[in-house]
Amino acid sequence: MNRALRLIRRRLIASIPVLAIVVLGTFFLLEAAPGDAVDAYAASLGGDAGLSADLRAQWGLDQSVWGRLAAYLYALAHLDFGRSVIFSRPNLDVILERLPNTLLLMGSATALSFGLGSLLGIWAGAKPGSLRDRLLSVGSLAIYAVPGFWLGLVLIVIFAVQLRWLPLSGIETIASSKEGFARAGDIALHLILPVGALGLIYLALYLRMMRAGMTEVWRTDYVLAARARGLPRRRIVLRHVARNALTPLVTMLGVQSAAMLGGSVVIESVFSIPGLGRLAQESVAGRDTSLLLGIILISAVVVILINLIVDLAYALLDPRVGASEVQS
Amino acid sequence: MTLLRTPTALLGFTILVVLALIALLAPLLFPADPLAIAGPALLRPFQDASLPLGTDRLGRDVLAELVHGARTSLLVGLAAAATSIIVGSVVGTLAGFIGGIVDEVLMRITDAFQTVPGFLLALAFVSVVGPSLPVVVLAIALSAWTGPARVARAEVLSIRERDYVAGARAIGMHPLKIAFREVLPNALPPVLALSSVIVAAAVLTEAALSFLGLGDPNRITWGGMIAEGRAVLRSAPYLSIIPGIALVVTVLGVYLAGEGVVEASAARKVRA
Amino acid sequence: MPPLSLNRRSFIAGSSVLLASTALPTIGFAQAVQKGGRLIVAADSEPRNLNPAIVASNGVFFIASKVIEPLAEASYEGEDGLAPRLATSWEGSDDGLSVTFKLRENVKWHDGSAFSSNDVAFSALNVWKPLQNLGRTIFKDLEAVETPDATTAIFRFSRPTPFQLIRNALPVVSSVLPKHIYETGDIANNPANIQLVGTGPFKFAEYKPGEYYRLTRNEDYWGDDTPYLDEIIYRVLPDRGAAASALEAEEIQLAAFSMVPLADLDRISKVEGIEVISKGYEALTYQLVVEINHRRKELADLKVRQAIAHAIDRDFVVKTIFLGYAETATGPVPKNDPQFYTGDVATYPFDVAKANALLDEAGYPRNADGIRFSLKLLPAPYFNETRQFGDYLRQALATVGIEAELVNNDAAAHQKAVYTDHAFDLAIAPTVFRGDPAISTTILVQSGIPDGVPFSNQGGYKNTELDALIDKAASELDETKRTELYKEFQKLVATDLPLINVADWGFITVARTSVKNVANNPRWAVSNWADTWIET
Repeated sequence: MNRALRLIRRRLIASIPVLAIVVLGTFFLLEAAPGDAVDAYAASLGGDAGLSADLRAQWGLDQSVWGRLAAYLYALAHLDFGRSVIFSRPNLDVILERLPNTLLLMGSATALSFGLGSLLGIWAGAKPGSLRDRLLSVGSLAIYAVPGFWLGLVLIVIFAVQLRWLPLSGIETIASSKEGFARAGDIALHLILPVGALGLIYLALYLRMMRAGMTEVWRTDYVLAARARGLPRRRIVLRHVARNALTPLVTMLGVQSAAMLGGSVVIESVFSIPGLGRLAQESVAGRDTSLLLGIILISAVVVILINLIVDLAYALLDPRVGASEVQS
Repeated sequence: MTLLRTPTALLGFTILVVLALIALLAPLLFPADPLAIAGPALLRPFQDASLPLGTDRLGRDVLAELVHGARTSLLVGLAAAATSIIVGSVVGTLAGFIGGIVDEVLMRITDAFQTVPGFLLALAFVSVVGPSLPVVVLAIALSAWTGPARVARAEVLSIRERDYVAGARAIGMHPLKIAFREVLPNALPPVLALSSVIVAAAVLTEAALSFLGLGDPNRITWGGMIAEGRAVLRSAPYLSIIPGIALVVTVLGVYLAGEGVVEASAARKVRA
Repeated sequence: MPPLSLNRRSFIAGSSVLLASTALPTIGFAQAVQKGGRLIVAADSEPRNLNPAIVASNGVFFIASKVIEPLAEASYEGEDGLAPRLATSWEGSDDGLSVTFKLRENVKWHDGSAFSSNDVAFSALNVWKPLQNLGRTIFKDLEAVETPDATTAIFRFSRPTPFQLIRNALPVVSSVLPKHIYETGDIANNPANIQLVGTGPFKFAEYKPGEYYRLTRNEDYWGDDTPYLDEIIYRVLPDRGAAASALEAEEIQLAAFSMVPLADLDRISKVEGIEVISKGYEALTYQLVVEINHRRKELADLKVRQAIAHAIDRDFVVKTIFLGYAETATGPVPKNDPQFYTGDVATYPFDVAKANALLDEAGYPRNADGIRFSLKLLPAPYFNETRQFGDYLRQALATVGIEAELVNNDAAAHQKAVYTDHAFDLAIAPTVFRGDPAISTTILVQSGIPDGVPFSNQGGYKNTELDALIDKAASELDETKRTELYKEFQKLVATDLPLINVADWGFITVARTSVKNVANNPRWAVSNWADTWIET
């Protein structure tokens, strides 16, 4: 356990400069943006010149770039994420309200693509080069090549509009006052389509990795030996081949977490899910610098934590990995 | 040829060659401006021989758009892949070869870019700078260069201890010259293997950006066509299905061909 | 479905027979009202400030108008196109220096306090005049509001202000706030700007960001019997395609403001139980306008502007981009305006040959590539149609040898580029005609407006004759003369082309047929919905 703690500490220290780069980069990117929060707001409003000036003063946009950066960093050091100009509420409240929805979507989609992907990968890799192997491989790639928003829209038309099996959008039935299990069931029902759309896209990744890994393992000596011993094929596939091919997939989970988070932006928009991705889009459109900074910072933290968890799990499963990490 | 050994790799290369031909010949096949209004709006496919795939919301020729779209979509994919591989391998080589504080700084920057969800970054970048083709390419490269950087660094770390590098040092070659003349070329093959993934992802990212209204309005891309077509997804589904199929075929082609290259090089290694 | 006729003047005259029968089966039938039920409607945005007294915009009114009421609302039947709300009568003095409002009795705020003339005085002087986007202009000369008794409010102006203008502006600028809630603290940051407190038929119950707003029935509403509905829920659906699917899946019952894309209307109108309604937006008619930067020497030449006007096929725009749900425009006042519109102006029929001839005459011959000169074209990003018209205009200009590069910005960048930095040659704007040219129309062509004023003349256009005319009309008290001056104004704009008006358009509502009393006033989507009900 001591080893795990050291790993955590190392990672946390390493993440500080990373987060600092992220904050500064995002801040200056948004500074370079033409138009500020007042311009974005004025688009829905009209009004005279005095009104825009009044709003700029009210929202603290009339200070210099450095003044605002200093103020932001000072607040951040005190774990204060500032106030959102588009929601006129504290950024952290706004973000934490949306974060669970995104994590739920991401988590379920990851489980789907990882679970189904590796299962199908085993099925395909059990007989490398067979017709079913080729079909699965190319078929999953074809889904991967479909833009996520399009897949989402088509799923909506089929399952929500035509068949009416599933709710169309949102995270739960609105204003339903459901509680406990009923509410959980309701949310699960709402998640089926978006999770399907997001998960199916990344399915190919795990399927192909699993399959490729299995193909490698088939060639290794001990599998050849097992075959020579005349063990049942099913047993060889599951016990020897699949098990060894599974480990690299676990590391992929961490790497993919950032991509999943990015992919959820579009899916949240299509399915009207109030998540972090949609919030990010709104904050960019509204030039809400501090809100977008908060979102990017929080998602970076999420990605770092997921990677840490994956590595920890990996280290605990496979002693060699953790050892070398700590020694180096 | 080893490259074309497997049927899937053969399929991949065939697709790519056909696509490349279409993209190159687009100005000859459809010399007129593909954005010009060519007929009545929302003409269905296979109704009019002069407009075989029908027309879009404004009456533009879908086939001409599709063919010209191949140009831009492939251009975006290739340009984004080239940019990220060049940037990535330079950063990776410098980090791996110089080591020490430079390595530390460069790798933390790489971490930072890898930590921020790539699509979020691209979204913010394009919204801020304004959508045009070079900006879209840069936005995609912004999140895609980290993979090549990591692979290049790992390769360089193993190469820099080899004899010929030591030899170059001994004859007093400038370290940067060694890095880019001797080390980088040898580190490149595994980096290039990433290109198919990057091209495929770039084509898809461009489509997603167009969907959110962040495509270049002066150019036709398949992503833009799909995005345009979704308003009429129910009444004129062909407008999003046709470019959608083109997109799927392209990404499939790029991926399968890329895999063929990897398999072939693996086979060569085994023989060597 | 045959294309709907959009001749809205006839709607105002009280006739709806021009509409195809599928469109408005509910109008004209007296059905027994059913009380109760929940109406779920689509909302595509969540305004940061929901207070209609501060932010007089359609996005805010859509939700807030059910909670906070104006002094008067637009009406098809009422005198001067108005129906009483919190005011029961209004009268302007002959010298244009005062307006007297008689207010409704026995009205209660949602928190139980009594409504009185003090609330009106407070709203006018502390909110509309200093803070409201439109009120800052309209009430700029408002000096005092006298309240001789609880139901009388007398507005005193320091300079003559046309009563016609005040009257036309009432539905938009006169949302009344409760003084007792706003008198302490900063008005702009009052929590009641989201948790609205008003006198309207519905109370603000709940807001879940990103998901929905919920309004509930006000049991103590002053109107007889109304409201009929128990609840209105605004479901946030930011994706443009979402509203149509949600209507079909019966997850929502109504989508206003063209949230169902025009291109999908033909199909959805054939779906059982869904109707497409083009009525109910007459008092918020939009115009599709080509804004021109007169600082470009080519565009400063009237012949070039005329050529561009001739190069645009307005019928194509109406038919293909608006799918018939629009009207070709002749000038800065839309055809459906009952008071000011005149069609007796210079017109620019689609004529490519003439456009080419004008450009040759102006001294801009085609070069070897067939190009005369190049322009930057910035379509406003707010509507599908403005962007599509951008795509079209680029092609239309290409046929007369003008090369246009499209620049698609998001809202903030567009706002800055056009209205502050003037970094455009042509821009496409969806301007709103709000019932009187002085509210938001003359500002589009008037000179001397500071940089950064959104939706104003930022193209560097200056015409002293036109400026004088605008000033004269702004203080003309006689209604007939004032109307004549604005007809003159339209002629001058159409002749000199400071900007090019292409089309007049309103929004479309798509609703389940079970929703009744839809579109029964010219600002229906942003009115109070007290008499809306659902058939079960």
